[in-house]
Amino acid sequence: MPRGRVSLRAHRAAWALVLRLLAAVSLPEWRAHVWRQSAAWVAVALGVAMGLSVHLINGAALSEFSAAVRATNGQPDASLRCEPACADAVFAALAQLPQVRSAHPVVAFSSYVLGPDGQRVPVQVLGIDGLTMAAVAPALLPRADAGQDRLALLAAHTVFANPAALAQLGAQPGDTLRLQQGVATTDWVLAGSVAAGGGPLLVVDIAAAQQRLGPAGQLTRVDLRLAPGATQAQVQAALQGQWPASARWHVPEDEAQATTALSRAYRVNLTVLALVALFVGAFLVFSVMALSVAQRMPQFALLGVLGLPAAERRRWVLAESALTGVLGASVGVALGVGLAALALRWLSGDLGAGYFAGVAPRLQLSAPSLLGFWALGVLAALAGGWLPSRQVQSLSPAQALKGLGGAPVSALPKAVSPALLVLGVVLAQLPAVGGLPVAAYAAVGCLLLGGIAGVPSVVAGLLWLAGRPRWAPLLLALQRARHERAAATVAVAGVVASLSLAVALTVMVSSFREGVTAWLGQVLPADLYARTATRSVASDGAYLPPGMAERAAQLPGVLRAEASRLRSLNWAKGQPPVTLIARPLTDPARQLPLVGPLWTDPVPGNPPTVCVSEAMVDLYQARPGTVLRLPLATVGAGGGPGGVDVVVRCVWRDYARQFGTVVVDAATYQALTGDHRTNDLALWLAPGAQVGALQTALRTLAGDAALVEFAVPAEIRATTLRIFDRSFAVTHYLQALAIGIGLFGVAASFSAQVLARRREFGLLAHLGFERSQVWAMVAAEGAAWTAAGTVLGVALGLAVAAVLVLVVNPQSFHWSMALVVPWGRLAVLCAAVLLAASVAAAVSARAAVSVQAVRAVKEDW
Amino acid sequence: MLHAHQLSKSFAAAPLFAGVDLAVAAGEVVAVLGESGMGKSTLLNALAGLEPLEGGRVVVGGTDVTALGEAACARWRRTQLGFVFQAFHVLPHLSVAQNVALPLLLAHRTGAADAERVAAVLAQVGLHGMGERLPRTLSGGQLQRVAIARALVHTPPLVLADEPTGNLDPTTGAAIIELLLGQARAHGAAVVLVTHSWAAASRADRTLRLTPTGLEPARPPAAQPPAPCPAGA
Repeated sequence: MPRGRVSLRAHRAAWALVLRLLAAVSLPEWRAHVWRQSAAWVAVALGVAMGLSVHLINGAALSEFSAAVRATNGQPDASLRCEPACADAVFAALAQLPQVRSAHPVVAFSSYVLGPDGQRVPVQVLGIDGLTMAAVAPALLPRADAGQDRLALLAAHTVFANPAALAQLGAQPGDTLRLQQGVATTDWVLAGSVAAGGGPLLVVDIAAAQQRLGPAGQLTRVDLRLAPGATQAQVQAALQGQWPASARWHVPEDEAQATTALSRAYRVNLTVLALVALFVGAFLVFSVMALSVAQRMPQFALLGVLGLPAAERRRWVLAESALTGVLGASVGVALGVGLAALALRWLSGDLGAGYFAGVAPRLQLSAPSLLGFWALGVLAALAGGWLPSRQVQSLSPAQALKGLGGAPVSALPKAVSPALLVLGVVLAQLPAVGGLPVAAYAAVGCLLLGGIAGVPSVVAGLLWLAGRPRWAPLLLALQRARHERAAATVAVAGVVASLSLAVALTVMVSSFREGVTAWLGQVLPADLYARTATRSVASDGAYLPPGMAERAAQLPGVLRAEASRLRSLNWAKGQPPVTLIARPLTDPARQLPLVGPLWTDPVPGNPPTVCVSEAMVDLYQARPGTVLRLPLATVGAGGGPGGVDVVVRCVWRDYARQFGTVVVDAATYQALTGDHRTNDLALWLAPGAQVGALQTALRTLAGDAALVEFAVPAEIRATTLRIFDRSFAVTHYLQALAIGIGLFGVAASFSAQVLARRREFGLLAHLGFERSQVWAMVAAEGAAWTAAGTVLGVALGLAVAAVLVLVVNPQSFHWSMALVVPWGRLAVLCAAVLLAASVAAAVSARAAVSVQAVRAVKEDW
Repeated sequence: MLHAHQLSKSFAAAPLFAGVDLAVAAGEVVAVLGESGMGKSTLLNALAGLEPLEGGRVVVGGTDVTALGEAACARWRRTQLGFVFQAFHVLPHLSVAQNVALPLLLAHRTGAADAERVAAVLAQVGLHGMGERLPRTLSGGQLQRVAIARALVHTPPLVLADEPTGNLDPTTGAAIIELLLGQARAHGAAVVLVTHSWAAASRADRTLRLTPTGLEPARPPAAQPPAPCPAGA
């Protein structure tokens, strides 16, 4: 018979034997320790559920958001975007080119609409040619409602709303909607709907948009269908010089890429955090398997003597782990799908972080992701069972049967721990890969694994330091721990793993929260803020009237008023837009939370200066002294084709915008662009000023009271921190899970130890030792080991937190933060873990020593 | 059946025994006596392929056990060897019948005939009808009967017993030795019994003493009259 076939048959026979052993030996064992075993698979289930649900929720939201973007933009072969607008002539020129099959002009802007009941809803407005647009964007085809004029789509006052706008406005056909333009409104009649998904969208006829929303004769984009064989480059060449320098060509892929980039770092970070739960699950499987194996070592030895080879013993333990994983991962997948469905129903698709505002995503299940997370769960369980399986493999049956030569604590060489720690430090220095902190995540993994791998050495060191006490129970406990280090190591490692994660998350959240709080104090120096656009994309449609700041400064009780202009700039293809803020900027060091010094060296040509956020430095290398070209259409001197050159004078910290901000002095901006619109007003008030009366006066100044919103810094701070806390709610769950699992590890380890020491306790009882003394002794042991684990866990947690805050955070979100260690909270956390672990140890001791002492000394094993 | 030739073993460079030669025929019972620490259990483990030796060969039924790798040796033990220990080593969460059936399970024998075989062996060792009980409900003597049934259930040609009466009172111990040797002889198995009890050793066909230089015939202790041989032994 061929050798391969023999080997295959032997392989099959070995696995068949493992399955039989699982059924005949493992299952009765699990039935006897049902709680311990359940904890292992529940931990895997929770890890899988968490990872999968986060993945599904973000995936559903992203897919819905992308679909909405596609529906709104359609699928043109190419698109010319004008900044801020092109003349109608550009459309006419494009439509006549032989390379162009059809051209579709669009007027697009963001603003606010007031519904029939006065609700103010942010909305995107598209002015299109309703008769031809369906060729590139069928979802934008206006559908007149029954009872409405069939030619309503050509009327000058009708509007068509998508489902999100209809739902948020609560509007019915025939209702009047007031569309904000600046601080004035125009009235439109709701005549029907469009199918496009995503956030609130209104569609009007392009001629009506140009006429009523202005400026007349201007377009914001022209979508093209090209003739067969024609390319965008040919169109560009044919049209050479006939479009404004600020206009740019786009293809649909650019939009898709920018949409994905918008929330990618957030999604990846959330998924990594969720996978931490799986790591913790793997650790619990390790605790359970290690203790179960330590307890059953004589059984494995017996089976070894009866003829079960070492490799098959290892396979058997791995199969037990895999079975735990299969059970946990299967439940976890079901739970994850359920959690995702619930979260999509009750929270938004970004779990409250605000990336996908207005989107109502539906759960989309895909076999690869379900299988992938299921496999991750099984792999985590297998990883947890790996070391115990090696211990079972390496045991010497004859020695182990006599209770001699306990299996080694760890199969890892001693150099592994320091090597992993050093590797972690090195990886933390590496830059991001593709905008993601891949090396930094690996660094976190290395630090955690290296720290845990170092536990046996630390335990050995502590035992060496303990010497030889004269008190008999302590001597017994120490001698036992010296010879059976596995149990103490598992207990300490459990505390280290869970506490390091809990500490890292606590320090990370505290650093973020403190950073944001301090930053809000710096960027909100005024006493009152008035604004008409809460989103920079809506700032061109909703703005304050010119001269508003000057008039507001004259109001009684106002010491000073500063207006700022917000604009959204399409900076680079495939990247989310950059925000431009034009505001009085006379002393950046005082007015902005700067990072690093001001650039004072002269630059040839003496261009205007700007301050950029840290994201601009990371994404576009806009370091101090760099000359940037702002993509702005200019009216005065200083502009050039494609924009205006400015020099970066300073870098500031902007926690509100992740994809870059450019701050330019308002006077410079107005001189360059001729744009005198403003969106925000900051007011410094005299002591005792009447805020209520002032708000009324400001509303009167603005013209339409419903279009201006007011906020005091305390409210903005509270709202910001509420959103912050909601985004980080998931970390509290992870902390609870980590600590719970750590405590379970301690309890499981001590109950196993106490079980193994029942004969010793029985003997002590025969010698006159009281049960309460046994509990006290075990609780003290628990406290001592947990204290050691706590010190290690806190140190490791601080190191991991440093990587998360100082490396992962700037690489993911392009903003820097200081590491803030909340010592008080950490002390409470450690005290709670210490107390809980001691109680867990004492409770397990109580359960174990309740067995009659006489029976205990007679037990076979 | 068993041929051991010039076995030698040392621990940490200190010689334990050397020049051990042993031959046991099928159906023959050989007792090995010796003081504590002389290496009786180590010798037994070496015969089972569980203890590496510095020198010598162990051949059982034509198989050179000392030349087998770990996995092959384990598979050889599955079918060719029965082992009885001083401690009973029964798995606490398995029933008596499941404990006895462990060697059959390892040999992929889980059919109805095998269940009948387990019941028959249990009856032979005096545990008829007790197959479904859990070990914790059994006495020490009964637990050792379970261990004997487990050692014989797969009819191995070689049975090794390491102080099988060490944990039992003399009366129970004598009954257990009688049972073990009687059953082994009935199965035609070669038996090597390691003990420090002359009473137990005297039931064997041959009695040897382990010394640092090898095995030599053992003489009964002078102070004690030799124990009478059981009828039929």
